[in-house]
Amino acid sequence: MEHVDFLVIGGGAAGLSAALGAAEAGRSVLLCERGTLLGGILNQCLHEGFGRALFGEDLTGPEFAARLIPALQNSSAQVLTQTSVLSLSPDQTALLSGRAGLRRIRFDRCILAAGCREKTFASLGIAGTRPAGIFTAGTAQKLVNLGGHSVGDRILILGSGDIGQIMARHFVESGRAVVALLEQADHVGGMARNRRECLEAYRIPVLLRTTVDEILGTGRIRGVTARNLDTGRRWEISCDTLVTALGLLPDQTLCRSLLVKGQLPSWLRLSGNCESVHDIVDSVVREAYALGAASW
Amino acid sequence: MRHTDVAVIGAGVLGCFAARALSALNLHITVLEQREDVCTGVTRANTGIIYSGYDNHPGSLKARLCARANASFDRLCEELDIRFSRCGSLMVAFGPHAEAVLEQKLENGLASGVAGLRIVEGDELFALEPNLSHAATRGLFAPGTGVVNPWELGIAAYENAAANGVEFRFCERLLRMERSEGGFLLETEQEVYRAKIVINCAGLSADAVREMLCLPTVRIFPTGADYLVLDDTVQGFFQHVIFHEPEEKGKGLTLVPTVDGNLLVGPTERGRDLAPDGATAASGLRWLTELCAKVAPSLPLSEQIRSFSALRPNPRTVREEGGVWVPEDRSINDFTLYQDNGLISLLGIKTPGLTCAAELGRLCAEFTAETLGFPGNNPRFHPNRRGVRRLHGMDEAQRAALVREDPNYGDILCVCRDVSRGEILEAIRRGAVTLDGVKRRTGAGMGRCQGARCLSDVLELLARAQRIPPEAVTLDGEGSPVLGAKYGTC
Ligand SMILES: Cc1cc2nc3c(=O)[nH]c(=O)nc-3n(C[C@H](O)[C@H](O)[C@H](O)COP(=O)(O)OP(=O)(O)OC[C@H]3O[C@@H](n4cnc5c(N)ncnc54)[C@H](O)[C@@H]3O)c2cc1C
Ligand SMILES: Cc1cc2nc3c(=O)[nH]c(=O)nc-3n(C[C@H](O)[C@H](O)[C@H](O)COP(=O)(O)OP(=O)(O)OC[C@H]3O[C@@H](n4cnc5c(N)ncnc54)[C@H](O)[C@@H]3O)c2cc1C
Repeated sequence: MEHVDFLVIGGGAAGLSAALGAAEAGRSVLLCERGTLLGGILNQCLHEGFGRALFGEDLTGPEFAARLIPALQNSSAQVLTQTSVLSLSPDQTALLSGRAGLRRIRFDRCILAAGCREKTFASLGIAGTRPAGIFTAGTAQKLVNLGGHSVGDRILILGSGDIGQIMARHFVESGRAVVALLEQADHVGGMARNRRECLEAYRIPVLLRTTVDEILGTGRIRGVTARNLDTGRRWEISCDTLVTALGLLPDQTLCRSLLVKGQLPSWLRLSGNCESVHDIVDSVVREAYALGAASW
Repeated sequence: MRHTDVAVIGAGVLGCFAARALSALNLHITVLEQREDVCTGVTRANTGIIYSGYDNHPGSLKARLCARANASFDRLCEELDIRFSRCGSLMVAFGPHAEAVLEQKLENGLASGVAGLRIVEGDELFALEPNLSHAATRGLFAPGTGVVNPWELGIAAYENAAANGVEFRFCERLLRMERSEGGFLLETEQEVYRAKIVINCAGLSADAVREMLCLPTVRIFPTGADYLVLDDTVQGFFQHVIFHEPEEKGKGLTLVPTVDGNLLVGPTERGRDLAPDGATAASGLRWLTELCAKVAPSLPLSEQIRSFSALRPNPRTVREEGGVWVPEDRSINDFTLYQDNGLISLLGIKTPGLTCAAELGRLCAEFTAETLGFPGNNPRFHPNRRGVRRLHGMDEAQRAALVREDPNYGDILCVCRDVSRGEILEAIRRGAVTLDGVKRRTGAGMGRCQGARCLSDVLELLARAQRIPPEAVTLDGEGSPVLGAKYGTC
């Protein structure tokens, strides 16, 4: 069975940096990325705002990724794209699946940098129909920025996560209407920068203390019943698309079966958004590189 | 005009199994389905339980078919290559009223020949299900109860029937039907068909289809149902199907460990007017969570990944009063099959319709052979069908072999469910034309992220395979486009 010192799972900012750190410390490294591209979530973030701390520049996500990838490619690390890690076993082996086949790798250390996933609308238990036209902000971002698609024309946003705010700006800039952004808390979430640059600058109507009670429409969504949490008032808002920005959850699925009394095995560490959700990529890069280079 | 021997109306699980049973005979069979795919009606949303048969009144058609269907279900699933988990069930009581119901069901079951039934209590009850509320007093254990994925069952019957020569015509809605020259003329928007026999499996519209020719005797009065789905992180929480028999009047809770590893919670029983068709009712969802707290207080409801609704096709006898058709108060408790001179109608087939689908199909084929005279066997008939190969649950060697055969099986697109590009392409080859069609065949999009990660990939594959623009791909048929109009065109 093939053996490496370090197995890195995920080729986003965290995985790229952890793999580079480990390779530069003289270890043999294998990085696996499920997608076709390295860079992870960075690839779909076409807005600027990456790299201020690390490079003193305002880069887009792909530009930022382009700063990380060559260094790794010039290192001794082995990189496999379109390769998923299916499972991790207590005997320090991993099962890999790619177009080239299925194989098992033995490793000494593993860094799980699988990123995060978005909380979905369906998990909220809200009543109503289940029509087309409901997207998480990240899925909408991927469809729009990577697929070149449109998700709809009259868009309602539920939740004030950063991706939702960034998408609100994008929708307005591309000629779509953002009907409103609903947030159940009494203030908008996410980074202050996004609130200023995405919501205020584009005059997105924000309704605080407001949630969705019911989805309306068969086939495609035609609106929602909104409810004010303080007054209890309910009213209909019409829209043809609902985009949700309800928050991100670290994707730790792969290590769930390895926990012993809530503790990870000593050979496994989490990095980047897989460890905890990071707002700023620069800190992801620094932490991950240090983790790869350190001995533990 | 097209000629056929038998026309089946509707491609839900019943229409598909009627077609499969008929395909053993040397006849030309045509199935007319108004939608773009099979299993989009009642079959789409139900509990997926293969009942053992103690619920039904001994001697009723339901009791007879259910006992027989349950006993032969392993063989059926082997023939059709679908997953079947004979996990057993526990009907649980929390007091004397429900305990009496359990006794009654036990008696029913013994009279109908249901094997292995017994009452369990105390330590044995909680050894079977440690997570059951300790307020439970007694349980009726039925080892024969099982679980299937209802889509998988219906789709398997469809594929098998089609391979045996049955012609399925999608997007053809039956509009009119009349008798002519000892047979029938059937009209859809696209075509006119002449058939000798008509099998009406139109689900919620089966009464309307029958009334194209006959005066009403039974009509369908739907009621609504709501369900919650919990993530496969709760796999193992319950080992058996749990039927909670309430102490008070009304319906109890059902908890189903599904073949996909989720826990299904539901269904409610509520008025159709509490929510539009296809919508869950807030009151229903609330009721489910409240009952969970009673039956399984430690169940982590935070693991909820989806909710959905269903419609029950309740049949009620109607009689004419001053020019209007008035229903009896109660819905009919048995399966209602009508034979009107060559037209057979399966009217208001609710639970355990899924369990009995193959048996009901067999009755339709027997009726056809009696009416037409035995037409001989279909030389092309084969009872076996191979399912879409699923990576999930496959051992490493099998999986490796599959990737060697086709690299697309190495490329995982649906992360939650471990579904590869190869499986999705195969589902599309077999007739999936919508996102939901792919989901029903592969499970892609059914996990905790609900398609957030695989949607764009599946969308592209559907568009490419059908040679349509991505904007024309739908979630669930006409009127449900996934995307908006293309950028630059608004
Ligand atoms: C929409 C959005 C906007 C942001 N905007 C900014 C900004 O303007 N400025 C800023 O500084 N920061 C921003 N951030 C934060 C920052 O970009 C992220 O925190 C950082 O990029 C996360 O990197 P990661 O490597 O942890 O995760 P990801 O980029 O998500 O990478 C995880 C990778 O792991 C792969 N993977 C997962 N499981 C497996 C497996 N089993 N096998 C193989 N591969 C697997 C995935 O395919 C993915 O490519 C933003 C984040 C988001 C989500
Ligand atoms: C809430 C609920 C839970 C249930 N749970 C279980 C269970 O656990 N176990 C069990 O055994 N059974 C269960 N059942 C029963 C089972 O689901 C049904 O008996 C079965 O699905 C009925 O299938 P069908 O083919 O009659 O209906 P459908 O699936 O509705 O099929 C009818 C088809 O006819 C088509 N059609 C209608 N009109 C026309 C027309 N004019 N022209 C062309 N096509 C037409 C429709 O589009 C549809 O595809 C449950 C039912 C419900 C409602």
